Amino acid sequence: MLSRRDFLKLTSLITASAALASCAPVYRRLTGDLTTSRWTPLDAHDFLVLNRLTFGPRLEERARFAEIGLQAYIEEQLAFESISDFECDLLLTPFKTLQMEANEIEAATNQLFDGYDRQRPANELRQATLLRQIYSKRQLYELMIEFWSDHFNIFIEKGNCFYLKTVDDRDVIRTHALGSFRDLLWTSAHSPAMLVYLDNQVNEKSHPNENYARELMELHTLGVDGGYTQNDVMELARCLTGWTVKEHFWLGDFVFKEDLHDPREKRVLGHTIRASGQQEAEDVIEMLVTHPSTARFIATKLARRFIADDPPQAIIEKAAQVFLRTGGDIKAVLNTILLDGMPLARPKYKRPANFMTSALRLTNAGTDAALHDYLLRMGQPYFNFPTPDGYPDVSEPWQNNLMPRWQFAFALMRNEIEGTKSHLPELLDVSSTGILEEDVDTLTSLLLGSPLERNARDHLLTTIRSAGASPEETLPILAAGIIASPAFQWR
Amino acid sequence: MLSTFTHTLPILQQESNKTWMPRLAFAPQNTAPRGDTLVVIFLRGAADVLNMVLPHGEDAYYQMRPTLGIPRPDDSSAKKADRAIDLDGFFGFHPSMQALLESWSSKQLAIIHACGAPDESRSHFKAMELMERGVDDERGPASGWIGRHLATLNTGNSSPLRAVGMGTRPQRSLSGGVPVSALRSIADFHLGGDARLLQQMRAALSTVYDGDVLGQETLSMMDTLESLDPSAYSAAHSATYPASEFGLALKQTAMLIKAEVGLEVSAIDVGGWDTHFAQGSVLGLMPNLMKDLAEGLAAFHADMQEHMQNLTVVTMSEFGRRASENGSLGTDHGHGSMMMVMGGHVNGGKVHGEWPGLRDGQMIGPGDLAVTTDYRDVLSEVIMQRLNNQAVDAIFPDYSPRGIGLLT
Repeated sequence: MLSRRDFLKLTSLITASAALASCAPVYRRLTGDLTTSRWTPLDAHDFLVLNRLTFGPRLEERARFAEIGLQAYIEEQLAFESISDFECDLLLTPFKTLQMEANEIEAATNQLFDGYDRQRPANELRQATLLRQIYSKRQLYELMIEFWSDHFNIFIEKGNCFYLKTVDDRDVIRTHALGSFRDLLWTSAHSPAMLVYLDNQVNEKSHPNENYARELMELHTLGVDGGYTQNDVMELARCLTGWTVKEHFWLGDFVFKEDLHDPREKRVLGHTIRASGQQEAEDVIEMLVTHPSTARFIATKLARRFIADDPPQAIIEKAAQVFLRTGGDIKAVLNTILLDGMPLARPKYKRPANFMTSALRLTNAGTDAALHDYLLRMGQPYFNFPTPDGYPDVSEPWQNNLMPRWQFAFALMRNEIEGTKSHLPELLDVSSTGILEEDVDTLTSLLLGSPLERNARDHLLTTIRSAGASPEETLPILAAGIIASPAFQWR
Repeated sequence: MLSTFTHTLPILQQESNKTWMPRLAFAPQNTAPRGDTLVVIFLRGAADVLNMVLPHGEDAYYQMRPTLGIPRPDDSSAKKADRAIDLDGFFGFHPSMQALLESWSSKQLAIIHACGAPDESRSHFKAMELMERGVDDERGPASGWIGRHLATLNTGNSSPLRAVGMGTRPQRSLSGGVPVSALRSIADFHLGGDARLLQQMRAALSTVYDGDVLGQETLSMMDTLESLDPSAYSAAHSATYPASEFGLALKQTAMLIKAEVGLEVSAIDVGGWDTHFAQGSVLGLMPNLMKDLAEGLAAFHADMQEHMQNLTVVTMSEFGRRASENGSLGTDHGHGSMMMVMGGHVNGGKVHGEWPGLRDGQMIGPGDLAVTTDYRDVLSEVIMQRLNNQAVDAIFPDYSPRGIGLLT
């Protein structure tokens, strides 16, 4: 196991912050061709679109987008398997629990064994999630991971989810994020973490528990007005009796227990479900996947995530049709939403994690991503949302908690975050003319897409200087001010 | 000099007049001096009120809850500490709610049972949304009922702390009125650094937030809160707040009220009430939640004794839970809930509302407590009589509240 110090060294080497001037070739490999003398200003809408397709566009992404255009850029990102992610994968090697089976992770947290650590799986998963968002070249894929992690939200602190979520993240979310919705839903329904989180592991014939059955229809497929009734919830709960989790050998794996299953006939959504054990609920899952309400519900949520809080109905309809026609091919649906939707994309308020990742990416900071406490204060600690609806995906709920964002912005630029290092002067060195005003223009076009209006820039500089900032202090304070500013909160 | 970063930046310039920009939804209709400070506590997840204030006079309760049911106050087969605490011969507190007896006995705590909303979706998210918006269905206004209360009453109070959402996201109920900030911790609400650095950071922030309502409000909150010293706070009458997030939220509310910084509304969430599994009868998951709730409220009641004449505390939840326990020692989603109202002008020591009963034919849906008092009846009375706002038709559109005699 690497020490934290070694790990940081590795991180900064691989992310090749420009600080390591001697590592220029590595740096180029990650951030694109730096022969460009200035950060080319970007059209405002293009910057918005790139912010929607990434966790905050790095220079290489800006260059690629400018080179090949929206359609080809989307195609390239959708074909994520063809994008090499070696550097990012390397960063994840210390996190051994990511590749373990449930019983192995459990053993790593079990006090019967030496060196156990109950917090380890959650910490590793959280760090890995942020590291991938920050360093992966498969940005659209990682955006979809975030989307489905909200859609199939699991509260990691509930029961054994503290180690089962790692398996769910890998085998459900990451395996099917850009695959077929049917497979995604199917594996989610068989996922021990989900069954524990929504109490289906105690859903038994003598006393059905409705929790998972309800959310399976309300939140995962049909939507609350999608056409199911309280009776459908109770009947589906009966179909799901006996779907539970192994407690001994291969503990933490899915198991169907026939003796806990209610074999009587059920009626769900107008269909009679005949006694067939585990297959009953699986038949319902197939019904839910092809239900028009599901297509609409998923299309609406995707459009809200990628286009606008209140996305155009016509695009939702079209995407829902694609969903139905392709049997829930997520790539095809997403492609429709992005191609038709990006020209109509409207600003959305950054959720806290996205605020953080965009600040880190755009300033090319090196980080070990152990940033959970900051997310906690901002209100979006990953895998810690208690209710199954996932973190809100519209702007309003996030707009009223500025203080922790300001704290993060200043801490980042002043290098006060342990495990995270920004290299502003070196970053600007790439194109610096040595004139402060021009460095500020470079910095703002880096962070906001294009430079500030001249008057605004000069006013900001004057204000900071007259508040007593020395020449070395001016740029970090100014950069933090931009990151803390209203403009940077929108994407 | 114009240098508002919301307007000079091209990305936001074109959007500055669009609907997604936060804006005030209403012009104030009335001018009146401010009334009580309102504390709204929302029990997220549909609290099992039938085990909080339980009908020990109903045989059906014990038939439907063979393991979760709390023994009658006079049930000599159970230990005294495990029995319900009788309130009026029919209802009783769960033993974990014992801390509330003092405010109950001093008639500053009222209970409204079988109270709730008409929505029967049994969906947490739909029910919470409709309740926080104070509407019957999606067609109603998108703002929240507290937001509309604040927006329709001009109390001459421009404090950035007029309304506070304790936590990291202000509650939906607060939206659409005046600017509202989330406040997780008074102690953490600062930028850090020495005086010199602070001056630089502040200069940068006030420039980039020039003309931005929320940003200015946050800066002004920072200035106000700087003068408070949470570590030096000592509660009156030896009150001890629980060491929980809820305890901290109440303690911070008390601190803000005593510091007279203009607080009119404090909204507090308490999560964890969605108890489908192993909720516990006398001890366990839900009794721990009840204990935290009761001890928090009791500490607040003691600490704020001298302020009770200007305080109203309301607790609510999106719906109740199934009368019958499920097989996993928990309860599934139900309908009728309960509210508690604490304050110096409450007709307390009394369970209000008509009890619909728990026998077949008295319940609704799959066996759920019926609703006999709409939650808006309770809130309307508080708004009109204690908050000096008569605009309930704007706050609860399409609803005509009934008087229930909750306040004195």
